[in-house]
Amino acid sequence: MKKRVLSGAMTSLLALSMLLAGCGGAQTTTQAPAEQPKTEAPATTPAAEPAKAGPKQLIIGRGGDTVGLDPIAQTDGESFKVTENVFDTLVGYAEETTEVVPSLAEKWEIAPDGLTYTFHLRSGVKFHDGTDFNAEAVKWNFERWSDKSHPQHNKEGFEYYNDMFGGYKGDETHVIKSVEAVDAQTVKFTLNRPLAPFIQNLGMSCFAIASPKAVQEAGPEKFNEKPVGTGPFKFVEWKRNDTITLEKNPDYWNAGFPKLDKLVFKVIPENTARLTALTSGEIDMMDGLNPDDAQTVKDNGDLQLILRPSMNLGFVGFNIEKKPLDNPKVREALAYAINKPAIIEAFFAGLGQPAVNPMPPSIWGHNNEIKDREFSIDKAKQLLSDAGFPNGFKIKFWAMPVARPYMPDGVKIAEAIQQDLKKIGVEAEIVTMEWATYLEKTKKGEQEMFMLGWTGDNGDPDNFLATLLDKNNIGGNNRTRWANEDAHKLLMSAQSATTKEEREKLYYQVQEIIFKDVPMVPLAHSTPALAARANIIDYKPHPKGSESLEKVDLK
Amino acid sequence: MAETQVQTLPLQIKDEQVISPWREAWRTLRKNKLAMVGLAIIIFFVVIAVMAPWIAPYPYDQGELVMKNKPPSEEHWFGTDYNGRDVLSRVVYGARISLWVGTFSVIGSVVAGTILGLLAGYYGRWIDMIISRVFDIMLAFPSILLAIAIVAILGPSLQNALLAIAIINIPTFGRLVRSRVLSLKEEEFVMAARAIGMKDSRILMQHILPNSLAPIIVTGTMGIATAIIEAAALGFLGLGAQAPEPEWGKMLSDSRQYIQKAPWTVIFPGLSIMLTVLGFNLIGDGLRDALDPRMKN
Repeated sequence: MKKRVLSGAMTSLLALSMLLAGCGGAQTTTQAPAEQPKTEAPATTPAAEPAKAGPKQLIIGRGGDTVGLDPIAQTDGESFKVTENVFDTLVGYAEETTEVVPSLAEKWEIAPDGLTYTFHLRSGVKFHDGTDFNAEAVKWNFERWSDKSHPQHNKEGFEYYNDMFGGYKGDETHVIKSVEAVDAQTVKFTLNRPLAPFIQNLGMSCFAIASPKAVQEAGPEKFNEKPVGTGPFKFVEWKRNDTITLEKNPDYWNAGFPKLDKLVFKVIPENTARLTALTSGEIDMMDGLNPDDAQTVKDNGDLQLILRPSMNLGFVGFNIEKKPLDNPKVREALAYAINKPAIIEAFFAGLGQPAVNPMPPSIWGHNNEIKDREFSIDKAKQLLSDAGFPNGFKIKFWAMPVARPYMPDGVKIAEAIQQDLKKIGVEAEIVTMEWATYLEKTKKGEQEMFMLGWTGDNGDPDNFLATLLDKNNIGGNNRTRWANEDAHKLLMSAQSATTKEEREKLYYQVQEIIFKDVPMVPLAHSTPALAARANIIDYKPHPKGSESLEKVDLK
Repeated sequence: MAETQVQTLPLQIKDEQVISPWREAWRTLRKNKLAMVGLAIIIFFVVIAVMAPWIAPYPYDQGELVMKNKPPSEEHWFGTDYNGRDVLSRVVYGARISLWVGTFSVIGSVVAGTILGLLAGYYGRWIDMIISRVFDIMLAFPSILLAIAIVAILGPSLQNALLAIAIINIPTFGRLVRSRVLSLKEEEFVMAARAIGMKDSRILMQHILPNSLAPIIVTGTMGIATAIIEAAALGFLGLGAQAPEPEWGKMLSDSRQYIQKAPWTVIFPGLSIMLTVLGFNLIGDGLRDALDPRMKN
């Protein structure tokens, strides 16, 4: 009997001590954050020392592992974060904007009819395996991507190629007619139809040029684990769900770069755990900082806060095939009932702005004339009763299970929206599941109301508006299943229009249609935050969410 | 124990000091200070749970986002959480959920476990074989894993969590009852009952079950504590109560990322779990002492 009482008391003591340990930990990190890394880092991780002597190494903490390292086969940011450092694209983007700049191609000419593009390639560039980068290599890469019968074409196809260039070789809508190697340093692209964002698309991280020899020798599956490109860093090793190690490419064509000798990408899933790893010196920098923690980082003299220029969108979508969301009045009512400013204030901690249209205002073509609906319970109730639901209804609301840059905490934001909707009688039941399943099921249209977001790849309005809301992308990224014909026509003509002014006008109209019909409630454009040790310099985060780290250096 | 009851009872009647064994147990229990503390804690939480709508100063599911993670103040004694909801109100309503889940899941496992245990113990042979092996299999899994599996199949919700907890605890009670039955079956009073041709059902209900009640009550009380912790664990994993239900374990899990900035959002639900569990454990220990004749002097 004594034993029992004792064990009961012990259990409760244990619970109490764990609780206190939690608080204790909190206090040490907030009160004396500066002391921890100094005392611990050199002892536990040799990584912190070599900043001064020996090789320069940077350990980057991130939330998820790379899916694959063959850039063309990828669609996710965690993969591109690595491949961008191993590969180069024909054209690149400026440091902090999506303006196209030379990369592997030094210059290019576009024929007036918009059907022929001639690229003059940089000479003397070599792949990491020693083979030459030349026009034949470019031609070979495009053939591999476009031709389904190519021996190194993936069984699953290349999703981005299909999306950006209208399908594959032989398809009616395929954009690229031929790729010719005119001479060793000149490549000529001939198109079937003009594609306004063609050059813009070529800069996307996925269209990186791989070493033909390496792909042929390894085969597409092995190459996906052991990439060979022309980039500033060479691939060394990949420990699944742990680290990917890259080392300096001493023969990099951009003389003087990269500055670092070694780059390590380390997976630490929890945002808060990653910040702890940073303050304790286990890693040198991290992305995916909780907006709430930005102030903590600012207050810490050993750390610096780095903000990524915003080019994303977090939204609440309506699957318009599900009742009662098929009724535009219901959708509009829900849009009125969501208190956007309050949510942004509470969950983006100043690192976000309310979204009006499904594309960020930082991209050209954003319609600034459209004024957002003001949060109004009365209007929402009015619209609901007009639609025949004076007492509201029940609905399933799918919430993102993971933190993404455009949605720092899906489930908590969903709870806030749930609170809002309750005020107009709409009972939202929050549904959540594993992330991969979530993406898969929403693609198939099993959801009712849902939340998701998008980070732009290339700074073109098409990359937001058509990707997220064109009827051709139902079953893909258009998870609202909105199949508006007018919008579709406008989006298609905007794709083939050649002047920016013309395209701008078309995108303005599309945004008006979207605003009126409310297939989604654009919620926020966030400014993703990164945190790094104070001695890291020249880290320029790119709006598209991943960047080459050739210029990054340590003080 | 049963032996002593049955044999001492007639003696007591002769002495004209009729004290029922339950009454006697209560007397012993009352002298046990720790048990009384436990009882007080439980009564405290029961009152809170029953009176929740009158006690809670705010609704548990409505908050203003501008009031996010505010520290305890005069308006919000326990502060507010990440959605600007009053933590005190949520803790108060959470008492309902935890006590409800704890009590009803234990009632469920006690009823099922007792029936199965009685059958297995009394009839023996193949019935015992089947039931006992099923219990063995269930006990071979870590119980929380089994609960997770059940909830994963049924879908995450509070009801399903309750059901899962009830199911995983059945073997505990089943085995307990079975072992009691096995020894009681050989007692003379049961043999006597059988000899005068009493039906099996009557023997089970009138002789064996009442004599097995004491250990069931003790284990059941302790079981409530375990069940509350299991419900909190499932809630913590997102498999129990769903938003916006103010389940304590879920509150812990939802707020743990703010533990540095807003510790009150974690401390109060955590303390509540600790206190209720402590309460049930203390009273359980007290009951064990009070009901076990070997402890009596």
